[in-house]
Parts: sequence; C-alpha cells; structure tokens
Amino acid sequence: MITAILRRAGAGLLVLWAAATAAYLALLAAPGDTVDAIVGDGADTPGIRAQIIQEWHLDRSAVVQYLDFLLRAAHGDLGRSYLLQRPVSAVIGSQLAPTLKLAVAAAVFGVVLALLFAVTARRLTSTAGLILVSTPPFLIGIILLSIFSFRLGWFPVSGDRGFAALVLPAITLGLPIAGTLAQVLRDGLDRALDEPFAVTARARGLRESGVLIRHALKHALLPAVTMLGWSFGVLIGGTVIVEQVFGRPGLGQVTVQAVNSSDLPVVLAVVILAAAVFVVINTVTDLAYLLIDPRLRRS
Amino acid sequence: MRRFRATLASLFVTTTLVVAGCSSGSPGGNAAQAGEPVSGGSLTWAVETEPITFNPHQYAQAKTRLLVWNTFEALLTHDDKGGYLPWLATGYEVSPDGRAYTFKLRTDVTFSDGTRFDAAAVKANVDQLLAPNYAPAVAAVQLKNLDKVEVRDAATVVFRLRKPDVLILDFLSSPQGAQISPKSLQEAENLKAGGPQLAGTGPFVLDRYTPGQEVHFTRNPAYNWAPPNAGHSGPAYLDEITYRFLKESSVRVGALTSGQVQLIEGVPATDESLISATPGLSLQRGLNSGSTYSYYFNTAHAPFDDVLVRQAFREALDVPAVLAGVYRKTATRAWSVIGPTSPFYDKSLENTYGANAQKANQLLDQAGWTARDAEGFRTRDGKRLTVRLVQSAPFVRDRRDVLAQAVQAAVKQSAGIDLQVQLVDQGTATKALADGAYELFDNSRADTDAGAALNLMLYSTGSINRTGFKNPQLDKLLDDAVATTDQAGRTELYRKVQQLVITDQALVLPLYAPQDQIAASRSVGGVGFEPTAGVPGSAYRLWLGK
Repeated sequence: MITAILRRAGAGLLVLWAAATAAYLALLAAPGDTVDAIVGDGADTPGIRAQIIQEWHLDRSAVVQYLDFLLRAAHGDLGRSYLLQRPVSAVIGSQLAPTLKLAVAAAVFGVVLALLFAVTARRLTSTAGLILVSTPPFLIGIILLSIFSFRLGWFPVSGDRGFAALVLPAITLGLPIAGTLAQVLRDGLDRALDEPFAVTARARGLRESGVLIRHALKHALLPAVTMLGWSFGVLIGGTVIVEQVFGRPGLGQVTVQAVNSSDLPVVLAVVILAAAVFVVINTVTDLAYLLIDPRLRRS
Repeated sequence: MRRFRATLASLFVTTTLVVAGCSSGSPGGNAAQAGEPVSGGSLTWAVETEPITFNPHQYAQAKTRLLVWNTFEALLTHDDKGGYLPWLATGYEVSPDGRAYTFKLRTDVTFSDGTRFDAAAVKANVDQLLAPNYAPAVAAVQLKNLDKVEVRDAATVVFRLRKPDVLILDFLSSPQGAQISPKSLQEAENLKAGGPQLAGTGPFVLDRYTPGQEVHFTRNPAYNWAPPNAGHSGPAYLDEITYRFLKESSVRVGALTSGQVQLIEGVPATDESLISATPGLSLQRGLNSGSTYSYYFNTAHAPFDDVLVRQAFREALDVPAVLAGVYRKTATRAWSVIGPTSPFYDKSLENTYGANAQKANQLLDQAGWTARDAEGFRTRDGKRLTVRLVQSAPFVRDRRDVLAQAVQAAVKQSAGIDLQVQLVDQGTATKALADGAYELFDNSRADTDAGAALNLMLYSTGSINRTGFKNPQLDKLLDDAVATTDQAGRTELYRKVQQLVITDQALVLPLYAPQDQIAASRSVGGVGFEPTAGVPGSAYRLWLGK
C-alpha cells in the first residue's frame, strides 16, 4: 500500500517537473526574449535594456536560469512577476480561490444537469448535448447575462461576491460539460439496459425507472467519471473566457496576461499548478473507480 | 477630472465647448439632470483596463490615468491651452538660460499617511525615480537632461538641467512625476506594484484592491488643495468610488443600462446609438492628447525609401471611407502626426493630401512600378509592390487590426499595392522591428505634450524611431522646440516639423485621433475629461444627484 502511494507521489512529481520544463522550453523557443517583453511598446534604449537585464539577472545563460528556477521552485519560491512586480505566490494565491470555486460549482452543475438529462430525457440528450457542446462559452455567457442580469436583474454582472455572482458563470462553464457528460452517460445507459442483468431485473418486476437508477446508472458512471476528470482541465481552461466576460477575478485572466507579456515566472507557476491539479484529479478518479465498481476492488 | 472653473455657469459653458470640440457627443452637459453638486454617496464605474501597477512612477497605460489622480498629485497640472496651473507647487520660475526651474511649494499639504509634503519629499521622489532598476524608462526619457534637484528650503525646490528642456514641466504634471509619500517609498513591500501601501496627497485614498475584479477608493477628509481648474475645493463630493474591471465592452454597456454601474468608459461605436437612445444615460467623447494613430513608413529600404511611393500610398487611401467602414461615424480623421487638440497642431495640413487614386497611380508609374502581375498588383523588375505591417497582438486596441484589413483592401483596389498585415505576438513583432522586416509601423502615443512623442518617434536617435529617417534639420527643429520656453516659439517650430514630416517627406500616414468615451447615468454630475490629456477625469469632480 505504502509503496503504491510513494510510486504515485513520485510519478506526480515527475509530471510537475516535465510540465514546468516543457513550458520553460516553449517560452525559450518563442521569438523575442524577456527583455523585449518587458520593454513592450514603450521607449527602448540600450540603457533601459541594461537596467532590465541587471534587475532580473537575465545575463545568465538559459541553463543556469533554468537550474536556478528549479532549485528555488523546489524550496517553494516561485520568484517575482516581471510585469506585476509582486511575488508570484501573491499574484496566484489571491486568484486561486475564485477560480477553484467557479470550477467546482460548474462541475457540480454540469454533473447534476447531465444526470437529469440522461435519466429523464434520454431521447432529447443527443440534440441538446450537441447544441451545448458546440456553442462557444463566450456566447452562452453573453446571452445569459443579457437575459438574467441586464434584463431581469436577478444576478449581478461581475465579481466574486457571494453566491448570486457565481450562478451565471457556473452555468456558462457547466453547460458544455453537461452536454458532453450527458452524451457519455446516455451511451452507457443504453448499453447497460441491453445487458442480461437488466432483463433479469425487469423479470423480477422492477419498474423501468428502478432498473435505470439502481442498476444501469452504476455501469454508465464509469466512463462518465473518466470524462469528468478530463473535463476539469477543460474547466480550468474555460475560466479564461468566463472570467473575462463576467469580470471575475481568477487564474484565467492572470494566465492570459502572463502569456501575452511573456511573464515567465507567472506562466511557469500556472503550468505547475495546473499540472498539480491534474495529478490530484487523476488520483481521485482512480479512487472513484474503486468505489463504483466492486470488480476493481477485488483485483 | 476635467478640472473646470468654479462656478456652475462657466461649468456648463466649458462642458458645451468640450462637446463642441469633439467630433460629436451628447448635447449639453449632464449637469442639469444631476442638479447642484451634493456631498456624499458612492458610485461604481466600470472600466476596461486593469492597471498593471498602482505606482504612478511606473505609469504606462493611458487607459488607467483616471485612477492615478484619485490618490496622487503632481506639482503642476495642465490647463486646456497647453499651459500649466499650480497644484502642489504654487508657482515656478525659469532661469534665463532655461536650465534651472525653481518651484515654490504649498506648505499645507500632507500625505494620507500623515507625512508632510515639502521640498525634501519632492527630492526623495526624484531620487527614487533615478534609483537603479526602478524606472529605467523615466530616467532615460523624461529625466535625461536632469542634472540635480536642490532643496533650497522646506517650500522651495530647484530642478537643475544639463541643457534647456521645457518638457520637464510636462514631466512634473504627469503621473510619473506624481508625489508619493517618502515614508511609503521606503517602507512599501511591493513598491513598484503600488496599491494601498502607497500614500499620496490626493482627494481619495486607495484602500482596497481585488485583482481581476475592482479597486476601491474612500474620500480623504483632510483634502483641501485642489488645483484652480478642479471645479471646486475642499474634500471630494463622493464618500467612496469603486472601479470595476470589465474587459468586454458589451458587458460594460449592459451593466450600465441595467443600472448595476453608473459610469462606464470605452463605448464601442456599435453601442453608441443604444446609449444615446436611452433617456437616463449620457454619452461624452474626448480626443486624446499626443500623437495620432498613424502609419509610419520605413524609409530604410525599398519601396518606401522613395518619397514618391510614400506619397502614392497616402494618395491611394481614402481615409474617411475606411474609418467610416470600421468605426461608423465616430472616429475623427487625423491630418498630422500631432493630435488636433494640441496647441502645436498645424491646421493648414488639412485637405492637403489623400483620396486621389489617379494621383497615386501616376506617382507609382513615375517611381517605376509600372507593370502589373496576374493578381493585379504593381511590379517593378518582376518584383511585386509588397509592404508589410507588423502588429503586436497584445497592444492592438480600437479594432486596429480590422482597420488594417480595410486599408489593405483599399490600397489594393485603388493602386495595386500589396499590403500584408501580420498580427503576431510581442516577441515576433519586436524581432521583425529589430530585423527591419517591416515597411509600415503603426502607433499612437498619449503624451500630454506632443513634443515628447515626436522626440521618441521622429528624432534620428529616438527610441521609437521606426522610419529610419535621419535628418539633421529635423533633429535641430526638435531640439530647439524643447529648448524654447515660450509657447508661440514652440508652436512655430513644431509647425515646421509637421511641414517637413507630413508635406515634404510624407513620412507618416495619419489615420485617426484616438479618443475616449464616457457613458453615464444622468444622475451623475461632474462627468468630463481631463484637460489636455483628453482622457476621463478622476473622481474628484463627480457627484451623485438626488
């Protein structure tokens, strides 16, 4: 048991390192250097450049900078943002909670809606799901805002201020997830209902809804949980757009700004964080399999 | 803060003048609906741009200027005619050789952390600006001619220059020259990022910043040193004001029309009619100071090394037609590299060039681009007349990428010029500029003194000189214009600069004068633009009518 956990943790660390390194290499390979990014479209003289190089120790070779970054990251120091002039931990720390709140709320909404769809309106699922999946979240967000915020005034337009402000962003982000999940669930349910055990259950006199919920749903959940683990990544990515539309604080906005301005320390920190979330989610999904499927517990 | 003069009557006149001076706008001010100024209340203003920094010394985004003057103030401020008014300084004297500026300071001013404002504080701010790794661009541009700052007594400070530079006054009226409490300069944890830890002397105190969401200001009750054009004196009317960051323009407009915010800035052309048609809302537009949004021709290599081709490109384009296509009727066409609200603007340039396809084609024939290839583009010696415009995506605003496409289609149709528009990331753009892999460069600058922009863009060694044009006569004119203290003399010198750059050399294709828009509920009084800068004013003049 302990070796299994250690192996898992080791693999997680390896993933973090690989993600950080890949991001580092990608930024290194991108045209222009850090100094260009910091200068931006402002005044540009050799004197200004020299000061920037000195301030951020950019005169060291890429390898030295990389090793220095790894060493400091291992000690929990993610450096300072070139652009925002604040420690990266402060930049990201304050934005983490709103993003996670939104992602979790959207995931819960997506799962509930998908279950409702799959169980109660299986025939509708395929069309509705297709529409939801193929509508850009940006458009969904604007439409929801126009109706429920601008016209009806039920929800505030922006910010991370209590439950009311979370509703529309969570729906915007959760709808496409619900679409995908509902499709997968429906597929699983259809297959489970054709299995011999469904016939047996019906023969015992169980009503169709009972067969569906008590027997078929468990079978259909397995691929859906895999899907949910994957869609958490989509959620984190989707926050970029949703946060912009709703004026919410969060990691999405920080990430876009950091990538646009080649703010290396922030980009790396976001990548590491996202990788960490993925590792955790994957572990949780693996554990969830065991809960759902007794066959996996035995082996 | 559009710092109007004191009485309400003149306030109305000034507002009307401002509106009349713009391309269009809502009739009259909104003072009538908001009634007499009243003290108290709170407002929410949705803004497009979240500041990268709240430290005024690090200021680089014109869109965030409206926040700076809530908390910080400068020694002088601009009037609306290119001159200066006292603020934290009661006045100044220039030595006859133009190398010493002596400022008399107010003695009744304190920073919001209790520190006294005096000559030592001014010196501490300049010392900080010159400190290594703090504000390299300010040190290299605005303060390049500064020799030293002397504290003569608590209320007198002298700026000594290595050579005459009238732009020092512009600097001391700018956000970068704003005064931060010396105590904050020493103690602030993230000095360059700014925020609640930095104390200023302004009418509000920044007490809460939620990154990605909003920034909140509370009235400074001790405030009593507004500049003469501020519209009133004493503390601000509002108890508090919140600026919410809403990047999407349609969301800003929706938040305003549904009453969730009382003011917004950045109204897209497509939504202006909606605002104007809503009874409870008003719309105002202000033209920005500085240089116009223009295309600069790269004269370092063919084809724009030939003045005929530069002229031809300008003649090939019907600027009002492309502007109307992209911005409807809301954009103000530019004729010069200097914005039309600047005192240095040369009005005689208007209607002297452009929108003449026949002339464009004659000029290109004359320059040897006589043949046409299969796609209809002009060629010379078998080479197509191709020019590249490289735009850095993070800095594209006002739909300038769409405008470029409209220009592309127009010059192809009228003169067979192949304009290639490349929308790329910042790194790729910088590399293209460094390698000279461009023929057109686009830019506008929001400097309050247009001369500051010209020094960067047109001077042979200017740090944003993308034309590659080096001309001793032009350098001399620009040098003289900053060494001359009298306004008429400077205006004449800049008139010559514009003649040389626009008429004689056709170095620049001016397109439009950048503007800002404010849409507000009519219950809000005192809405307006900052004189000279032309950007939305601070919250000092705002009040919430009953």
